[in-house]
Amino acid sequence: MKKIFTIKTLLSVVYFAAGLLLVGGIWELISLFTKNEIPNPRMTWITFKEVMQNPMQNEPDVKGIGTKLLSSLARVGIGFGLGSIIAIPLGLLMGSSKTIMAIVNPIVQILRPVSPLAWFPLGLAIFKDSPAASIFMIFICSLWPTVINTAFGVSAIPQDHKNVGTAFGFSKWKYLTKIMLPFTLPHILTGLRLAIGVAWMVIVAGEMLSGGIGLGYFVWEEGFNGGSVAKIIVAIIIIGIVGLILDKLFMALQKKFSYAV
Amino acid sequence: MKTSSMAAESTVEVSNVTSENLLKPVYNAGKSIEIENVTVSFKTPKGIYTAVKDISLSVKKGEIICLIGHSGCGKSTLMGTISGMVKPSSGVVRANGNEVEKPGPDRGIVFQNYSLLPWLTVYQNIYEAVDSAIKHKTAAQKKELVINNLKMVKLYDHKDKLPGQLSGGMKQRVAIARAFAINPSILLLDEPFGALDALTKSSMHVELLKLWNLDNREKTIVMVTHDIEEAIFLSDRVVVMNNGPEATIKEIVDVPLPRPRNKKDIVHDEVYMTIHDKLMNLLIDKFSIDDIV
Repeated sequence: MKKIFTIKTLLSVVYFAAGLLLVGGIWELISLFTKNEIPNPRMTWITFKEVMQNPMQNEPDVKGIGTKLLSSLARVGIGFGLGSIIAIPLGLLMGSSKTIMAIVNPIVQILRPVSPLAWFPLGLAIFKDSPAASIFMIFICSLWPTVINTAFGVSAIPQDHKNVGTAFGFSKWKYLTKIMLPFTLPHILTGLRLAIGVAWMVIVAGEMLSGGIGLGYFVWEEGFNGGSVAKIIVAIIIIGIVGLILDKLFMALQKKFSYAV
Repeated sequence: MKTSSMAAESTVEVSNVTSENLLKPVYNAGKSIEIENVTVSFKTPKGIYTAVKDISLSVKKGEIICLIGHSGCGKSTLMGTISGMVKPSSGVVRANGNEVEKPGPDRGIVFQNYSLLPWLTVYQNIYEAVDSAIKHKTAAQKKELVINNLKMVKLYDHKDKLPGQLSGGMKQRVAIARAFAINPSILLLDEPFGALDALTKSSMHVELLKLWNLDNREKTIVMVTHDIEEAIFLSDRVVVMNNGPEATIKEIVDVPLPRPRNKKDIVHDEVYMTIHDKLMNLLIDKFSIDDIV
C-alpha cells in the first residue's frame, strides 16, 4: 500500500519535471527567435535572484518583493474578508427564502458579469483613495461566487435533514448551526475558493491602476516601464505560485469539511 | 423558607395541570390516536391530487398497529398526519387528546431512510434531538438519557462514530434510540426496516418489541410497512389500505395472537396462517403465472 503510494508520488514528480522541461524548452526557443527580447530562463533566473535579495526590505523608497507581496495579500485579505462577511449571510438568506432569492438574485445576475475593473473608478470616486479603491474592487468581485454557492447549498438541503429539525422541534438557532451550516459548509468553501481565485487575479490589475506598493504595480512600474521583461516574468511566476498556494489552502479546507453521507 | 414556599407553589401548579389533563381522558378514555374523516390533498402541477380520503381510525393506548398497502397508497401520508408532518386538508387528528397541528415530543418518529445528520456523531444525533424535544431537564440529565438509550440499543461502544461508518441496521437502531430517547407516548415508524436485509430485519423486530416491553407496553406504536409477516408478528391490528389515489381503509384485520410472540413458533400457528392468507388475499391478486392474463 505504502509502496504504491511512493511510486505514485515519484511519478508525479517526474511528470512535473517533464512539464517544466517542456515549458523551459519552448521558452528557450522563443528567446532565441526574439533575439533575447524575451530573456531566456537563465537570464530570468539571475533577475529572480536579484529580486529575491533582501525580500522584506521596507525603506520609504526601496521595498523588497516580500513587502510588496504582503501588501497585495493584505488588500486581498481585507477585501475578500469583508466580501465573505456579507456574502455568506446573504447567501444563507437567499437560499432559505424564496422571496429574498427573488429580490436579490436578479441584481446579483446583473452585477456578476461586470468586469471587476469597472468598479475601480467607482471606488475611487467613493473613497478618494486608490488603495481603498482596489480593496473595494476586491470586495465586490469576491461577493458573487460565495453568494451564489452558499444560496445553492442552502436550497439543496435534503428534505430528510429538514424533517429531523421539524420532527424534533429544533429551534431556529439549532437548525442553523446543526443542519443548515454543516450541510452548506462545503458549498460555502467552494464559493470562497472561487472568490479568492478571482480576487487574486483582480488585485494585479487593480494595483496596475492604483499604483503604490504591490505586485501589480511592480509588474507595471519596474517591469514594463523599467524595461525589464525578466522582472515581468519573475512577477508572473510569483503571482502564479502564490495563487496556487491560496487555492490549495482552500482545497484543503474543503476536503476537511466534506463528509461521506 | 423561600424554597419551601416555592416548592408549595410548584405543587399547586402541578396539581392544576394534572386536573386539567384529567378532564381530557374522560372525553377519549384510553384513546391514544383518533383520526376523524381525514382527507389529504396536494396541489400538483397536474391539478389537485388526493392521497387519502375520508379516513377514520382510532388507536388504543399501548396498541401496536401496522398500516399496510401497496406503494403509493398513502400509508406514509396518513402516518404524516399523526406525526404532524402532513396537514390534513379536512378532518381532525388527535394524539393523546390534543389536536395535532405540528410535530411534538409526545410523538417520536423513525423515518424510512434513518434521517441521521451525517456530520454529527451517533451520540450527538440523539443528544440534539433530546436537547430540542425535552425542555425541563438539565444538560447532565439529558446526557444520561442519551447514554441509557444508546446502551438500550447496544450502540454505546459506537457512540463517537459518524453515521457513515455504521451499517444500515445500526443506523436504524440509532434512529430508534433517538425516537425512544424523547420518551414519546406514541411511536411512529415509517417503513423503518424496509432497507434492511431479512436477517437484520428479523432481529430488529424482536429488539423493537423488547423496548416496547421494557416500557410496560405503554407506548402506542404505528408502523407503515408492506411486509405481511412483519405486520402480523408485530401488531395487534393490521390496517389494510386500498390503492391510491383517494385511498381508504380496505379492512382492519385483528391479530389475536398472545404475547410475547415467538418468531419461530408463530408461523405454524393456525391463527397466524389464517391471518396471513387473509392479508395475502387482500393485498395480492396474482399468485402464480396462471393468474397473469
